[in-house]
Parts: sequence; structure tokens; C-alpha cells
Amino acid sequence: MNDHDKRDFQAGLEAEVDAFMRGETTRRTFITRFGQMTGMLAASGPILGMMTDWALAQQKLELADAASPLGQAQAAAMKASMEGPADGSAFRAAEAAKAHSGVTLNMTYEAGLQALDPRNFSGPMWEQLTGMKSNVVELSNPDQYSKAVAEHIAGSGAYDVLDISPAWTPSLADGGVIAPLDDYIAKYMNPADLEDYHPLYKALPTYKGKIWGFFDDGDIFALYYRKDIFEDPKMVEAYQAKFNAKLAPPKTWEEYAQIAQFITDQMAPNVYGAGHFRKAGSPGNQFDFLQQYRANGGKLFGDDMKAGLVSDAGVKTLQNMIAANAASIPGNNELDAVSLWAAFLTGKVAMIYSWPPSGRMAANYSQSATAINFIPQSQIAGKVGYAVVPGNPEHATGYNKALSADSANPEAAYLFMQWACSPPVSLARCMLPYALRDPYRISHFKSELYGALFPSAKEYLSNLNNSANVGLLDPIMPGAQDYFLSIDRMCTAVWAGADPKASLETAAAEWNETTDRLGVDSQKAFYTEFLKLPGATADNTVEKLGMAVTL
Amino acid sequence: MQHTATISRMKAAGAPPRLSGFAQWADRHFKWLLVAPAVLLILALSVYPLLFSLVVSFINYDFQVPGHAFVGLKNFERVVFDPVARWSLLLTAWLSGISVAIEFVLGLLVALTMVRNFPGRGVIMSILIVPLFISPVIVGQAWTLLLQRPFGPTNYILTQLLGQEVTIGWMTESPWLYASLIIADVWQWTPFMFVILLAGLTAVPPNLYEAAELDGVNAWQAFWAITLPHLAPMMLLALTFRLLDAIRMFDTIFIMTGGGPGTRTYTASYYLYTVGFTQFHLSQATAGSWLFLIFTALVVMLLVRRLLKTEPV
Repeated sequence: MNDHDKRDFQAGLEAEVDAFMRGETTRRTFITRFGQMTGMLAASGPILGMMTDWALAQQKLELADAASPLGQAQAAAMKASMEGPADGSAFRAAEAAKAHSGVTLNMTYEAGLQALDPRNFSGPMWEQLTGMKSNVVELSNPDQYSKAVAEHIAGSGAYDVLDISPAWTPSLADGGVIAPLDDYIAKYMNPADLEDYHPLYKALPTYKGKIWGFFDDGDIFALYYRKDIFEDPKMVEAYQAKFNAKLAPPKTWEEYAQIAQFITDQMAPNVYGAGHFRKAGSPGNQFDFLQQYRANGGKLFGDDMKAGLVSDAGVKTLQNMIAANAASIPGNNELDAVSLWAAFLTGKVAMIYSWPPSGRMAANYSQSATAINFIPQSQIAGKVGYAVVPGNPEHATGYNKALSADSANPEAAYLFMQWACSPPVSLARCMLPYALRDPYRISHFKSELYGALFPSAKEYLSNLNNSANVGLLDPIMPGAQDYFLSIDRMCTAVWAGADPKASLETAAAEWNETTDRLGVDSQKAFYTEFLKLPGATADNTVEKLGMAVTL
Repeated sequence: MQHTATISRMKAAGAPPRLSGFAQWADRHFKWLLVAPAVLLILALSVYPLLFSLVVSFINYDFQVPGHAFVGLKNFERVVFDPVARWSLLLTAWLSGISVAIEFVLGLLVALTMVRNFPGRGVIMSILIVPLFISPVIVGQAWTLLLQRPFGPTNYILTQLLGQEVTIGWMTESPWLYASLIIADVWQWTPFMFVILLAGLTAVPPNLYEAAELDGVNAWQAFWAITLPHLAPMMLLALTFRLLDAIRMFDTIFIMTGGGPGTRTYTASYYLYTVGFTQFHLSQATAGSWLFLIFTALVVMLLVRRLLKTEPV
């Protein structure tokens, strides 16, 4: 070491010693503090998680005015859960669930309005009854499938109760994502409560002879029309003069387009004959095409599982839809479901067909909840009539409550499902103004309390029941998303001017590719299972099978 | 003497604490301990997912088809022979190219206007850059509200201005739907170009302009001879950054057109999203992502190489 090096060494050593004596940070203190910090960070995750759980679990039970129909339905649900009847599914579930007090159930729900039910009503009520907490995981609709599968692959046990589309049941059951409920049902459920399901919905969770969930949302399409326009003497007279027929809700799709065009010709730009949600990606195209195509005699697949779309029924369906579009409100092809509701509620459109909340919104019932105030106030309350969609209405997706096969608390999760879907509790949930759960049990359709929700509620319920009697189900099989996407692309391409026949051919080619990818034989087996369900085709609706429900 | 003094000070402070085995080890490997967290994070969040995605693109990873069998290049083949994928790649190049070109021209014009001081300049600049801070989803929703028939005011305003009824389907009819997407993108991202180009303009030495003025050079000549050469590196930087972002165009399309009509507004990102998260063909989407990454990397390489060449030595 030369003098220069020595001086440098000495200076460095002195600086280190001085720093040490001043108590400044050394490597060791740095490492110690860094370790402490890392430890705190690692611990903060679970602590924050627990705090979130605590905050969510503390949400108060929101109850309506006890004198209102909803308040009475909520009180009845509480009473049935606490006092019985002793053989009621709600009571038996609540009693058995007390053994699981303290357990937290993780349940997936569609993000937004759907999730308000377990957050504000059913979750807190269940906690009050059983001591079980609920953690609502809000997901977008596609994520309700993909996340459930991803968590299953990871084996995380992240979810206990899954809200799934009935179309996903075969994939999720075969993939081991959901568990069958038969043993639990035999142990805890009152069999009469299964018989209370409308026949269109009863079989939806059944697959390969087992029950894979409880149906929980009657999403049947129905026709909502302006009675004041259809009963206007001038309009009735003009229609009679032009078509030599009475102006009444349409019975066929040709009649539908004709009436829509007539009203548009007579009343535009103040009112247009019809409106549809035709925007790409909004599911209106797929549901509308499927209901009209099958009502026109179209078959989804041939015996060899080749797509049956390229047919006279396919061309006729698209031509009818084009005619209806031409008779509709300007911008019809740009509307999504919410914009269509806005057009109808503000009186710009005379006829729409859509999901059941349409009727509750038209009566201004839904808008009583602040959560749904993005929907305009109805300017047509008291002027809306209800009818069955021409031909056969589509049951547009719906929801099943399914039990996650990876749940750490399967029995507790099952008991919640049984309780939430039991007749008294499900009625109160379907009556929530902000919820998008729609009536599906026979007892819902017959409910005096629901019938008192708004002046025309009894007619509304009756029409939903009648629609379910002749309703058609979405295809329930793997690849349903692919088939639906092809229909949506096909329809929107046609609305933009593409040739209907060529578009049908493109869609059919995409369907065939999907079927090949998933396996022709396997898909055929799924399709054969689907065809056994009431409502799978226009030839085996609930009504045609002699199972129609009359109220 | 100095050594002795230091040693006696250390003695006075007392003997240093005895180090444990772990502390000694930590002392020896201190530098590795410092970088370890960052390395672990990168491995966990970047390298592992990247390698995993590479594996996924060669196997079946489809939520609807059980098992993870090796399928070779099948997933890549599905993307390459999918006409929708090819169209989406073309549209991505076309839409991003036009959008960025317009944003560049407008950004430059605004920057040239704003480079001089004038009353209210600060307020105007603040307003101009507001779109940059808005989420693209909100931008898409706002433009949808403006353009969507029958509620949007655009056609009404055009009708009033032109004196004849305008019934344009801004989000369903060609070529208007492309115009709508470009307008939304230009509205949001022109300020980005403006900010970078303005920074470049303010860095041009003012004495050059003074000298040019003395030489009798007009404004146009000054722009070509002084402004443009000095601004060129910033221009390339702005174009590179913006182009890299524009080719990932997704949010506004998701909100405004939903990819439709048909598949006419499918960009590469929208295509990959649809395959992965609407159809749940994750392995195909992953293979497509790799192909898209390769295309993007080529563009990036060209631009960065060009960018480096412009740097002064």
C-alpha cells in the first residue's frame, strides 16, 4: 500500500467509524430494517384482507317499509327462515347452517346491480340468521366462467358459491369445477320446493341425471307495447283501413315488422314502431336471431352436427329482422339494452321485447331505488301492455347458483344456496327494485305480494308465466360462447349491408370449426342431452309437452 | 499517529458487537441481498409469466377442452389462417398509422401556436392537456354519448349547420365508424404530441432565430432550416411512443363499436381479447399474442434504431 492508498484507506475508515459512533445506518441495520419492512408488507396483505372482509360483512340489512309489498315479502322470508314451517327449505337451511356460524362464504356475482342483493339483503339477512358471513366477489359475465375455471385449475378454493349461466353447466360439471347437489338435496330440501319451479326452468341445472345447482333468474323475453297507441281509435281505424285487420300485439314476426312500420309511418318522429338492442356485443342479436330462427322452423345442427344455419329459415329470419330494423327508431343498430330501455321509457318507441326488468322499469317501480337511477323515469307508466313475443320467446341466459367443487365449506355453501333460492326468500329477492333477478317459481307468478308491487303487476306476472310456457332455451353445451359470437358477428355484418346468405355461410363455417375443435362426437352427445330439455326446440316447448302452467 | 488515534477512539467506543453467522453471511453477500428483491420481482412478474405463456402457446389450454396436451404449432396455425386475425392486424396498422399521423400534425400546429407567450396561455394549455388524464374507457363512453343515435347531438348539430337532415350511423356504417374511432383517439392523444413537441420547441436556441431574422429569412424558411432539424429527435420520440401505444388500441373500440359491425373494427388487441376472454381459447390467444409481439418488436426495433441515429454524438 503506498501513501496515497493509505491516506484513502484512513479517510474511509475514519468516515465509517464516525458514522458508526453517530449511530448512522450500517449495512446490518439496513438489512434488519429492510427485513422488518418486508415482514410488515407481507403481513399487511392478510391484515388488509381481514379489514376488507370485516367492512363488507358489517353492511346493514336493508329492509323496505314494513307496510309495502316488498317489506311484507321480506318479513315473510325472515319469518319462514326463523319460525318455519319446519319442513320448509328456508327454515331447514337456516337451522342447519347455525352449526357453521363464523364461516365466511365467498360467492361470485355479476358486477353491479346483481351484486346489490347479496350485499344489501340476502347476505346480511343470512348472517343475522346463521352467523355466517358472506364475501361477494363481483365479476363481469365472462369472468364468472373464466375465473371459476382458473381458480379451480389453481386449486385455490377461492369461491364457495358460483353464479353461472345454465349454458356453462356441462363444461363446468365435466371439468370438475362444480359439484352435484343430489345428496344435500336429499338431506336438507323439501322436495315440494323443487316442484315449485316453472317447468321451463326446473331442468336447467340437471345434467347427466344429476342436479348441479339451483335455477335463480327467469330471464324470459316478453313483448312490452304501448297500450295507448294500440288502443287509439285513429290508429285502430287507419290500420283496419290499410290492412283489413285489427291493430293488436303481433302474433308473427312478419306482422311485427308490419305493425312497427305502420306506427313509424303514422307517428314518427315523435314515436317509432319498434326498437331493438342490435349493437355489436350487446347480446340482443344472438337472442333475437335464435328465437326467430327456431320459431321459423330452423334447426341449430343437423344429424352430422353440421350447422343448420344456411337454410330458408335462416334467410327468412334475417330478412324479417332487417324489415323490423327498417321500421325502428333511428340508431336502432347502435342501441344496447340500456339505451333501448331509455328509448322505450321516454316514449320514443311503441314496442320492445327484452328481459323482465323492462316491465318493472316501465311501471317506474325499479327507479324507486337510487342504485338504478341511471335509468330515466318512465313517462309511459300505466300505458304499457304485455304480450308473448311472436312465435316463441327466448329464455335469454338466466342464472344458476352452483356449488364450487373446491369449496372448503361445501355444506355451508349449499345451505346458503338452498335458503336463497327457497320460495319465500327468492320471492323477496326477485321483488327488490334494484335487483335484476326475475320471477321463476310458480309461487312467484302467483304471489299476491308481487302482484301488488305496481298496478299492472298481476298482468305482468301472468305474461311472464305464459311466455315461459312457450319459451325456448339458449343452447346448453360447450362452445355456446363461440356459437353466440358467430351469430352476433353475422347479424351486425348484415345490418351494415352484408348479404344475408353469405353471412349465414360465414357463421355456419365458424360453427363447424367450433364443433370440430371441441369434437364432433362429444358435441353431438351434449346437443342430444340439450334436446331432451323442455324448450329446446319450438316443437317441445313446455306447452307442447303438456306441462304448461296456468295461474 | 493517525492509526493509533483511530484505534484508541474505537477502543473507547467499546468492542463492536459479535456478529452472528447469518450477519456474517449477510455482510459478505450484501450486494446480492440488495438486488435480490428486484430480481425476484422481475422473475415472478415478468420472466415466469412470459415463459409460461410460451408453454401455453404450444399446448391445449382451452377452458372448454379438458387436458393440456402438446399441440405443436396448431395454436399459431389457427391464428395465421384466421381471416379475422389477418384483418385485425391490417386494421391495427391502418388505424394507428392514420391516428398518429393526424395527432402529430395537430400536435405540432398547437405546439407552434403555444410556444410564444400570450395572455391566457397557461389556462389554455391546462385545458388542452386534460384529455390525457382521462381513462380511454371514459373517452369512448363520452364519444359514444356524442355520436350514438338517436340520443347523441352530433347529427342534430350537423343538420342545423348544413341545413339538410344528417342521418349518419357513426358507429355502424363504413367509413364513419373508422372516422369515429380516429376522432376519439385524436382527441385524447393529440395533447401528448403537443406536450413533447412543445418541450422540443422551447429547447431550440432563440439566438438562431434572431440571426435568421437579421439575415432576412422568412418564417417558413426558419421553420425548415432551424425548427425542423432541432425538433427532429423529439418528433421521432413522440411518434415512437405514440405509435407503440396506438397499436394496442382496445378500450375505445370495446366501448364504441364492440368490434362490429361483424368484425370490421377488430384490432389485434380486440381480437386477442375476444379469443381469450369471450371464447376462452386461451392457448390460441397466447399464440396470437406472441405473433403480435414479434410484429410489434420489429416496428419498435426500426423506430428505436432510427431514434438512436438522430442522437448527437
